[in-house]
Amino acid sequence: MDRPVDRHLALSESRRRAGRLGAILLVVIPVAFLGYFFVYPVVTIIVTGLAPDGRLDLAPFETIFSRPSLLGVAWFTLWQAVASTLLTLLVGIPGAYVLARYDFPGRRLVRAGVTVPFVLPTVVVGSAFLALLGPDGPLGVDLRRTVWAILIAHVFFNYAVVVRTVGTYWERLDPSLEQAARVLGASRWRAFREVTLPLLRPAIASAASIVFLFTFTSFGVILILGGLRNATIEVEIWRQATALVNFPVAAALAVLQLAGVSAILVAYSRYQQRRTHQFRLQAAAAAAQRPVGTRAWLLVAANLGFMAVLLGTPLLVLVQRSLRTSNGIGLDFYRGLTQHATGGLFVPPSTAIFNSLRFALVATVLAVVIGLLASAVVAYRRGFAARSFDALLMLPLGTSAVTLGFGILIALDAPIDLRSSVWIIPIAHSLVAIPFVVRTAVPVMRSIQQRLREAAAVLGASPGRVWREVDLPLIARAGLVGAGFAFAVSLGEFGATSFLALPTNPTLPTAIYRLLSQPGTATFGRAMALSTLLMIGTGLAVLLIERVRVGEVGEF
Amino acid sequence: MLDCRDLSVRFGDHLALAGVDLMVPTGNVVAVIGPSGCGKTTLLRVIAGLQRPLTGTVAWDGENLNAIPPHRRGFGMMFQDHALFPHRTVAGNVDFGLKMTGSPLDVRRSRVEEVLELVGLGGYDHRSIADLSGGEQQRVALARTLAPSPRLIMLDEPLGSLDRALRDRLIGEMRGIFARLGITVVYVTHDQDEATGSSSCAPERWCERAGPRSCGAIPAPSSWRACSATAPSSMPPWLEA
Repeated sequence: MDRPVDRHLALSESRRRAGRLGAILLVVIPVAFLGYFFVYPVVTIIVTGLAPDGRLDLAPFETIFSRPSLLGVAWFTLWQAVASTLLTLLVGIPGAYVLARYDFPGRRLVRAGVTVPFVLPTVVVGSAFLALLGPDGPLGVDLRRTVWAILIAHVFFNYAVVVRTVGTYWERLDPSLEQAARVLGASRWRAFREVTLPLLRPAIASAASIVFLFTFTSFGVILILGGLRNATIEVEIWRQATALVNFPVAAALAVLQLAGVSAILVAYSRYQQRRTHQFRLQAAAAAAQRPVGTRAWLLVAANLGFMAVLLGTPLLVLVQRSLRTSNGIGLDFYRGLTQHATGGLFVPPSTAIFNSLRFALVATVLAVVIGLLASAVVAYRRGFAARSFDALLMLPLGTSAVTLGFGILIALDAPIDLRSSVWIIPIAHSLVAIPFVVRTAVPVMRSIQQRLREAAAVLGASPGRVWREVDLPLIARAGLVGAGFAFAVSLGEFGATSFLALPTNPTLPTAIYRLLSQPGTATFGRAMALSTLLMIGTGLAVLLIERVRVGEVGEF
Repeated sequence: MLDCRDLSVRFGDHLALAGVDLMVPTGNVVAVIGPSGCGKTTLLRVIAGLQRPLTGTVAWDGENLNAIPPHRRGFGMMFQDHALFPHRTVAGNVDFGLKMTGSPLDVRRSRVEEVLELVGLGGYDHRSIADLSGGEQQRVALARTLAPSPRLIMLDEPLGSLDRALRDRLIGEMRGIFARLGITVVYVTHDQDEATGSSSCAPERWCERAGPRSCGAIPAPSSWRACSATAPSSMPPWLEA
């Protein structure tokens, strides 16, 4: 009777040792990857900005604060972000209301459609608005290089953030609270202002801070629509680093921007902790009703019409311009993609398609493998170490892509010069994608209850079998969703890539930017064609995510 | 026959079980009653092999099972929250235990159908777990437990989350099923109503209508811990029926 017990104990001892080794690898691989490719470059930027010659030297900052053009950039960055955020809230909140409280035919479709712009690459949005608001656009106005083009594009981009964040919250708010206010004598507007709006405040604050962060660090849209006249800090970092090769000033600008972003994030998390309202949130859809009366129908129709115009027109014009050739509608620009070198590109544009697909595959594999390893640590470990690891994984989300690209450019020249290696591009993309994978996988891993594993064991599954039958299928689905995100992110990534992709080895976004910055109808048409293809590719990746994601997987 | 002797479990400095004995002759239905937190679930987990006891033995027909991992004990357990696999369909859940035995596919298929029919869910094979009502989930959990024909079934507050009317009906159905199959059953509940017999689903009645075989309920003192701590060694066997 003793023997089997001994063997059992011995077995579990060796298994425990193997488990410990596995746990160490689990931590070491993601930490090493993020440490070398993310933390080290960012630290290098900070050091270059604060101590360009090895000791503390604030000369780069003095340059920024003494040069009116650079101060102007900082001021423009701030006010356009504030204006974009307010505008987006102004048009987004009514949209959120309509989608949350009214049930009408095609509601689900509209809801999915509204999200499309948010997932589009910035370069595609830039191209679409260049086509819409440029000289040959259907509106007959030329808003290029005006702040209006930028603001409208930002609203287009972030409309979904407000509608989704505020809308989901609104949907679950108990309508009887507002009804109680009405019965107590408040007018419709008064009830909204006194009851609903205060209750929605956390969701509005959350949406506003996300939109502010995105527009504060906006790069692709501004580079394409604003040129260098309306430059944000992000664009200026890029210009200082690549065109003027003034690394200390570029680094100082990046430090200023990092400080700004951190301040927003800290303020936001403070706010989140302070709010202690207890709500009666209820199951979604219970509160949604058919619109009754002319007023309700008008409200719904006006918002749907606005969505169609704001979100639909730019994309339709983009496709139309890619097909509009000098001899009518045709595929000339698409055929032109395989022809040799035009406008600033040293290779046929089709090379960019091939490159982007290749990079996206590698980036996806890297992001999913490292992201899942990291998620396992965050999900299964407790305590301070796991929490700080979690925070480390989220840092790339708060760091702008341009900062990342710039950091890699100045940091990774030794011991091996990785900057000229093609591998560095998918590595940079995977850094941007890892937070998405982690945020998708961790909640799933945490949600796998020990109970399920026990149920499987009682039903006769050995420990290995339990992992294969219970953990793996659930994690695999989260991994697939994460892979879709990673693929879409990599296809559209522009900020970091603009530092790393050589003209001989462009990705889709960098090729589009190069084509757009050259004059000529043919190059413009090809840029439209490439943008359309990129839009379709991203759309397919997102469609995969939606198909795989049954119910709500993860936090995105 | 299930024979548990002197089982103790400690969580930190909290003694969850202290010297518990439990004997259940083959084919009998035994109900264990006690207030929440008195260690009933822990007892089931020890029997299932999910929890190592600090002292004591779990034996079946004289064979000590202490060193046998849960997946080789041949027991079935219905969890309090059902623990249905969300990524599998109704049939996929019921089939799980059969798949672990390595039975051929056609055998498994007909067995799944048979068991689903038995719990009144014929034709539910391809439904998703998320689309089921509480009562239906409970039946799927029962079907999943029955499918591999375990020699002992443990039910952990199987009806806890259901409303009275549904409980009454399901109790009747489960009683019938257990009587027909002649399975050994350990059933735990905290319900004071059930303990005093004022509820229509009182274990006494539960067992009484289960068939001609003898069964009984363990009388619950204030709590197991208190009872066992005062006189662990002189404790009579919890129940012999």
